[in-house]
Amino acid sequence: MQYALLIYEDEAVYRDENGRAWQEIIAQHEAFAGELAEKGLLRGGAGLKTANTATTVRRTAGQHGLHDGPFAESKEQLGGFYLIEVPDLDEALSWARKLPMAGDGSVEVRPVIDED
Amino acid sequence: MAGSLLDQAARTHGGRVIAALAARFRDLDLAEEAFAEACLSAAQSWPKDGEPRDPAAWLYSVAQRRALDMLRRRGVRTRLVPDPPSPPPSAEDVMVDDARLIPDERLRLIFVCCHPAVAPDARAALTLRLVCGLSTQAIARAFLVPEPTLAQRLVRAKRKIAEAGVPFEVPGPEAWPERIGAVLSTLEIAYAKAHEDAAGVGQHAGYAQEMLDLTAVLADLLPNEPECLAFAALVRYAEARRPARLDDTGAMTPLSEQDPALWRRPLIIDAEALLHRAARRRQPGPRQLQAAIHAAWCSRADLDEPPPWPSVLALYDALLCWRDDRVVRLNRAVAVAEVEGPARALAEVDALDAVAFRDFGPFHAVRADLLARLGRGDEAVAAYDRALALEPAPAERLWLERRRGMALLQTRSSRRSPG
Repeated sequence: MQYALLIYEDEAVYRDENGRAWQEIIAQHEAFAGELAEKGLLRGGAGLKTANTATTVRRTAGQHGLHDGPFAESKEQLGGFYLIEVPDLDEALSWARKLPMAGDGSVEVRPVIDED
Repeated sequence: MAGSLLDQAARTHGGRVIAALAARFRDLDLAEEAFAEACLSAAQSWPKDGEPRDPAAWLYSVAQRRALDMLRRRGVRTRLVPDPPSPPPSAEDVMVDDARLIPDERLRLIFVCCHPAVAPDARAALTLRLVCGLSTQAIARAFLVPEPTLAQRLVRAKRKIAEAGVPFEVPGPEAWPERIGAVLSTLEIAYAKAHEDAAGVGQHAGYAQEMLDLTAVLADLLPNEPECLAFAALVRYAEARRPARLDDTGAMTPLSEQDPALWRRPLIIDAEALLHRAARRRQPGPRQLQAAIHAAWCSRADLDEPPPWPSVLALYDALLCWRDDRVVRLNRAVAVAEVEGPARALAEVDALDAVAFRDFGPFHAVRADLLARLGRGDEAVAAYDRALALEPAPAERLWLERRRGMALLQTRSSRRSPG
């Protein structure tokens, strides 16, 4: 089955003066993605720029409205995702546990709609 | 009658048959539906052809064929399903089958039902439904929720299991600390429902035995997990006392008044062995303390020996370090009354959250008893009335009515006596 690992973190953790926290987490993500790829489990994924770069298009009763900022105003924001192919939820959860994170945060594990 | 024979077969073997089907087809709904259809065909053919020699094997074979038919009808590619047996077994083949050949997948099914991905309030219900074969109606009654609510909860849980890809496996040892806790909590909730029913004739009668079986399987599979062993011991101690829990009139007998001669010794011996094995691991835990409280009671040789209240109180004190919840505190208060007196116990009970306990019969029964012992008969009667208003089981009702009668006498005699 394919699962999306959606990463929610407080972006402030990476906003240090010399950008070291950011560089460190990028290196850790490269290693994590490398491990997934080596095992043939990686199907996709991306890191997202910070939530202040987001623009949200909201459709209400057929009308589109635009607003600056992410969909939900909360401390933890969607920061990126991995798409992995593993046999079952337990394995997806064990990868979610290993996912690099500098501080507190959450990884939402969601099965991807099966196309066949 | 074939009808009751079928009911009994469904209750006794349902869990095992559904678990085997679920493990094979990886689909809880399919397993349940196929089992229900097999019961339907049993209802038609058993009265005609006679009862099969091995009802479980019969039900499994028929259900398995029904499941394959259903899959074919649904047009699902048989990705996860091995090739259907060819030719399909005839009725005679089915008759000579052997239930021992059905793989025992109940443990796997328990781990599925108690997966952390399943909502906590659905885990016990799902386990009771699928593993213990209780009806939705019976489970709804046990959990005090309307039947449609419970049915909805079960549907949501099964959908989550199917769509999120919860594996039909017993997890590896690295996941045990997290997963076993969820399984044990679920089984505790399920067993508490069976245990509350002292007479053992209510809707939970069938699964006290089931709990003995399941905990034996769990203790076998996880021989190094002290809390698993302790829980298996606890169920055995509690079931050992079942024959002594009712008196001749059908009223409940409190633990301290039960005749130890009536307890089932072989179960106590099994329980002691399990608890010793748990203690040897030197990893204490709440379930070991709870089992030790049962052990203290079950070590009583006869009614002449004083009840072990001081040890029971010490064990409750230790248990509070692991599990400081109001039910533990209430049970502890019962021991406090015996060791330090009813006034002290009542003070502790009255410090508990009465609102949370409003609909909890044992809370009112304990308070009533303490009030009666302190000579506050009117308040005791009122507390007994509240306990009785909460629809206790027949054995508990008889006992409560008797105690209420005594409290009432007490108020009359105290009014008659001057000063």
